[in-house]
Amino acid sequence: MENILLKDNVTGLESYFAAGGYKALKKALAMKPADLIEEVKKSGLRGRGGAGFPTGLKWSFVPKDAEGPRYLVCNADEGEPGTFKDRELILRNPHALIEGMAIAARAIGAGTGYIYIRGEFVAEARALEKAAAEARAKGFIGGNMLGSGSDFELYLHRGAGAYICGEETALLESLEGFKGQPRLKPPFPAVKGLFGGPTVINNVETLASVPAIIDKGGAWYAAIGAGKSTGTKLFCVSGPVNKPGVYELPLGAAFRELLEKTCGGLKPGKKLKAVIPGGSSTPVLTAEEAWAVKLDYESLAAAGSMLGSGGVIVIDESQCMVKLLQVLARFYHHESCGQCTPCREGCGWIEKIMDRLESGKGSPKDIDTLYSVAEGMTGRTICPLADAMAMPVMSFVKKFRSEFEAHAAGKCCPPEAPVKH
Amino acid sequence: MPKITIDGKTAEVAKGTTVLEAAQQLGVYVPRYCYHPKLPISGNCRMCLVEVEKSPKLLTACSTEAADGMVVRTDTDKVKTARRDVLEYLLINHPLDCPICDQAGECGLQDYYMEYSRAKSRFPNEDKVRRQKRRALGPHLVLDNERCILCTRCVRFCSEVTKTSELEVMGRGDRSYIDLKEGKALDNGYTLNLADICPVGAWTSRDFRFKQRVWFLKKTPTVCLGCATGCLVEAHHNKNTIYRLSPRPNAETNTWLCDRGRMTYKSVSAGDRLVKGIVKNGLIELEPALREAAARLDEARDAAAVLGSPWLSVEDNSALALLARALKTENYSFDFSAEQGIKDGILINKDPAPNTAGARQVKAAAGGLSFSDFAKRAASGRIKLIVAEARAAAALKDELKAGGAALVVFAVNRGEVPEGAQTTLPYASYFETQGTFVNYQGFSRRTRPSVEPPEGVRPLWAMLTSLASYSGLSLGLNSGDDAIRGIKK
Repeated sequence: MENILLKDNVTGLESYFAAGGYKALKKALAMKPADLIEEVKKSGLRGRGGAGFPTGLKWSFVPKDAEGPRYLVCNADEGEPGTFKDRELILRNPHALIEGMAIAARAIGAGTGYIYIRGEFVAEARALEKAAAEARAKGFIGGNMLGSGSDFELYLHRGAGAYICGEETALLESLEGFKGQPRLKPPFPAVKGLFGGPTVINNVETLASVPAIIDKGGAWYAAIGAGKSTGTKLFCVSGPVNKPGVYELPLGAAFRELLEKTCGGLKPGKKLKAVIPGGSSTPVLTAEEAWAVKLDYESLAAAGSMLGSGGVIVIDESQCMVKLLQVLARFYHHESCGQCTPCREGCGWIEKIMDRLESGKGSPKDIDTLYSVAEGMTGRTICPLADAMAMPVMSFVKKFRSEFEAHAAGKCCPPEAPVKH
Repeated sequence: MPKITIDGKTAEVAKGTTVLEAAQQLGVYVPRYCYHPKLPISGNCRMCLVEVEKSPKLLTACSTEAADGMVVRTDTDKVKTARRDVLEYLLINHPLDCPICDQAGECGLQDYYMEYSRAKSRFPNEDKVRRQKRRALGPHLVLDNERCILCTRCVRFCSEVTKTSELEVMGRGDRSYIDLKEGKALDNGYTLNLADICPVGAWTSRDFRFKQRVWFLKKTPTVCLGCATGCLVEAHHNKNTIYRLSPRPNAETNTWLCDRGRMTYKSVSAGDRLVKGIVKNGLIELEPALREAAARLDEARDAAAVLGSPWLSVEDNSALALLARALKTENYSFDFSAEQGIKDGILINKDPAPNTAGARQVKAAAGGLSFSDFAKRAASGRIKLIVAEARAAAALKDELKAGGAALVVFAVNRGEVPEGAQTTLPYASYFETQGTFVNYQGFSRRTRPSVEPPEGVRPLWAMLTSLASYSGLSLGLNSGDDAIRGIKK
């Protein structure tokens, strides 16, 4: 199957145009906004940032009669550990994102768009600036897009290095110049978002998928994939595999196909122990579960995990699950914004237990405490960061309890000094 | 109007009512830390999580709007577990220094722990996050960041009520702490409200610190006399000593209390509290002081004058009016006026006196000169002696100099006494006796005594009755109310 997103030689405007770029935008500008939304609904496209919410439906939540400006925001704050697809997409196909944003803006009636890009993505930000300048020069974006009478001003905003700003309402706070902390919902951004105006926030990959949908039709896109998981998805494969990297596969592809065919299998001598299928916050799968699973929203949910961002972390038998969880705990503890009690206190508590277990000072009781601390955080906070910490903890403990017990008994890998930070 | 059912009780509530407010209306208490009825919703403490039918997750009662047909439960195992968990999270890094914490006894953590948790700690003490303790912030407060549960009530108070935005949550995660923003000082005139709204012992009052364990305090509802706003307050006292004033939130006048108003109780036991009389500049016992004043009154007789005061209660002003009547003098005035209204958009009134409106009520009943005529007569020398309250008399400084009238004044504190007073007599402050005050909105409110006056010191109407009797006059007063009734005759 031909790739929709990761294409070769489409980085510059000329080559993107030669490959049929901005045809979809022209078509979109001739269409009614409601028809655009309908087309995206028909495509079955779902949010690629991790939550998998139907994109067309999200767009349709913008109130038709809302007064004042509306905004389109692209979430390019890719920070989920194990995820590195958006940066690749931006570097290789920046115009697909810009064209997708122009179409989305037309669909929701937004005159202004922002790309909130992770602060560390310097090269990616430059690539986007360059692409946006090219598109602006040709009149694809800016005032009176292609003579349509619609305006679309696009701004790039670089984040300042907080994972939480990838949560859409924290992103909005940060974009407005405040401390990046998630907002209470409702009101949802579609009703009251950026600067109080109706706002749609979509992931880079989601928006970049839009031009092809408009160009070739929702039905065409919906035919790709499996069931309600339509289209293609970028998978970021990391770990001891022969060819780690970003790959585009139709949703519903088997994990076995991704690992053995696409990535060339595990490195010699390595044996699969576990897989985190959708970025560090999704529940871990055992090797047995992973070998049987298909990579789409429904199959992964049925297997007790999530498709998430498509960050596939491959873990082999030589890795220590306790050490791995300690690393994750340190990350989420560091990144919790501190607003909600369970997350603020729970993440730190979990890291402290993990430090104890990893350094051989833990007790079997710690394992139960660990699990119940995570359980108490689940679903009780403003944003899902607490769940993002709790899900790996609970799944690691449930599926690899023997390793935790070995640590509590002072065995397993040699104890290390606790990390100072 | 949405109809909501909470724990089996159903009510119709106004549109926009939150689940927490609806529960309150139905008599169901939902525990909360960050929620405050007068502050914007923050939803961060997660203590008010409740179960809402058809919602897979627990929802915060403070931020969830009541919807028609909504069925809420606050008594399920799921809710109880959530509350216990939130309390455990809040307590793991709390220093548990209750024995030396002023908040102990009125602490949200202690109360809810007893009510909703009682679980044993699973957290090793040495793992606690340490933060800065005992930091004086502003003239009235001490901040203990270790006790703080980061509910942000204080931050929201400073941004929404005083609009001075001095405070912010710094840092992230469990390294978060409350601090002053760069270049700010915490002195906005309302800072002690932070100690009130802080659900734990993070903000404590420097004035109140370590003075009393709160469970010893008795609470007497009374009125703040710091200005014409007349906020409803509560005096907290024990063993005849007042330790602090707190607001009694009400819809008409005040939710909060200003820092100055809070400190007004200090006059009661201040170093310059008058418990004896003063003749010229010498302190003498009460009886001889009263006789001295009576002698001056006898001398002056129909050249004597009586001045009311916007600082005195309606009762005491009435008693002064009755003295004027007994003296058969025309020289008396209860004519006070001052621009009234809130001057800072919060509580502080343009009129610093608490009872300008009340004094005018006495004028309406008892008549008398206009204040300017009274002043003219004082300046002309026609008046030989003026009986007045100290602060009201201070307004006649130049006229007294010009006309040479002697001054007999009543004062609570020596600091109030104007220069050149011939005789000064003490009276019971309104923390020691009841008095009616009419605030700028026209509400008549009565102070209630929370402590006993110093030995021998009586309410002004009673002191005046003694003075009159030494001068051979009878005011016929057995209570302050008698005085009010008296002037209407």
